[in-house]
Amino acid sequence: MAKFKRSLIPIAGVVYGDIIYWITILASVLVLVGTVETFFSTTNTIPPAYLLSSVLEGKSVSQIWQGSPFRAIPHGHWYLDILPTGEGLSTSGLALGVFGVIPAIFASAYFLWRSHNVFFAFLAVVSGLITITSMLGVIPLPIG
Amino acid sequence: MVQLLKKVPELTLLIALTIIAYIVIEVAGKVGTEPAIGAFSSIDLIVISFVMSTAIAIIAVIAGVGGGVIFTPIMLAFTSIDTLIIRSTGLVVAMFSGLVSTGPFMRRGLADVKLVFFGAVPIIVGGLGGAFAAIIMASYMGKEGDAIVRLLLGITLVLIALLFIFGGSNTEYPRPRKVDALGQRLRLRNTYWEVSLHERIRYRAVNVKLGGFLFFFVGFTGGFFGLGGGWAVVPVLNLVMAVPLKVSAASSGVLLAMGNAAAIWPYITVGALIGVVAAPWMLGQVIGGIIGAHILASIKAAFVRNLLITLLLLTSVKLITRGLESLLKIDIPIF
Repeated sequence: MAKFKRSLIPIAGVVYGDIIYWITILASVLVLVGTVETFFSTTNTIPPAYLLSSVLEGKSVSQIWQGSPFRAIPHGHWYLDILPTGEGLSTSGLALGVFGVIPAIFASAYFLWRSHNVFFAFLAVVSGLITITSMLGVIPLPIG
Repeated sequence: MVQLLKKVPELTLLIALTIIAYIVIEVAGKVGTEPAIGAFSSIDLIVISFVMSTAIAIIAVIAGVGGGVIFTPIMLAFTSIDTLIIRSTGLVVAMFSGLVSTGPFMRRGLADVKLVFFGAVPIIVGGLGGAFAAIIMASYMGKEGDAIVRLLLGITLVLIALLFIFGGSNTEYPRPRKVDALGQRLRLRNTYWEVSLHERIRYRAVNVKLGGFLFFFVGFTGGFFGLGGGWAVVPVLNLVMAVPLKVSAASSGVLLAMGNAAAIWPYITVGALIGVVAAPWMLGQVIGGIIGAHILASIKAAFVRNLLITLLLLTSVKLITRGLESLLKIDIPIF
């Protein structure tokens, strides 16, 4: 590769790793704030005790959501609608952590392309596009 | 550990914030204080989940298998939690240690970005194909077909573990005798600094076409069974493509995190990922992932190999047991 950062370490990898690393740290802080909010707020949209007991009792996803104030399984990026709540913050934090892969892939693809690794830049872009389609719900990607 | 905390201030801060947050909610939490299981309150369960997740993450990152391989069978065996919720939380466990360890691995040159992108597309596409195949097979062969493939997969894992055992130290720093034309053309070669030996290790990938096909196969079986690819990415990179074991383990974690990032969105968008349940598992994976990534750089490769062999054998026992139970309609009381 043409571009290196110390000890022949490819810059495309360092950029990829650092973007994901810091977004994951940020996401962790958001999840932590969400957890504290969950157990301190008495006005949560979905009571945490209900969520935890339902999960531990083995209720299905549809049963859990039907018994919640939502009254049905939510769709899309539902957690953004309840962002100020504990559950909204926790799930948003998790989603932010997962989302971090997308900018990291495209940034890495750019540096791979700059360093004349066109084939790997192409593979990176394809991976990024598949992840975006999954996030948007365009392709029913394998779940599990 | 103290050295690590000094070297990684964000880890120190995150651990401190997490400990303070959990102490505060244990002492002064307003909801979830009543017993949920036995004497444990909801808050207790959250803290226990966090501790378990941290331990799983350290082991998973060192072995490069993804925590889902450890988490999912345990939860399926010992709790009555809905499988969809276990699988979605399992994906969180499988991916976040890999996500956060991506930074340290890439900075140290332990994970190879080209190998990661080379494996990503076949694994994701294979996973998609596996999920569709599972639907088709379920409608024709039912549970018997599922049991047969589980059994075969378990036997395959035993064989892979045996290859690691009898391959000896050759698997730690493989020296391929041949030159792979495609690997040469794609410049799939690199070097990394081996801290435990104080020397630079050079490697070049061989059997690149076969490796690409096997990544597709790993993705396919992962999508078919919901296993994740952690059980096989390290063997493909190390045994087939002759990539050093530590680079294989690090690249495997990064690769699995990327694949799972695509797979988890459908769970999130249908509410199958419950934030309050997944949160402590995610935090444990992030903290344990950073610790595991720094441990991997300094430990001997032989330790990684032994840990991987153990995990492969344990997973294979679980798979063979489940296959036999379904085929013979018997109950085998093993974990």
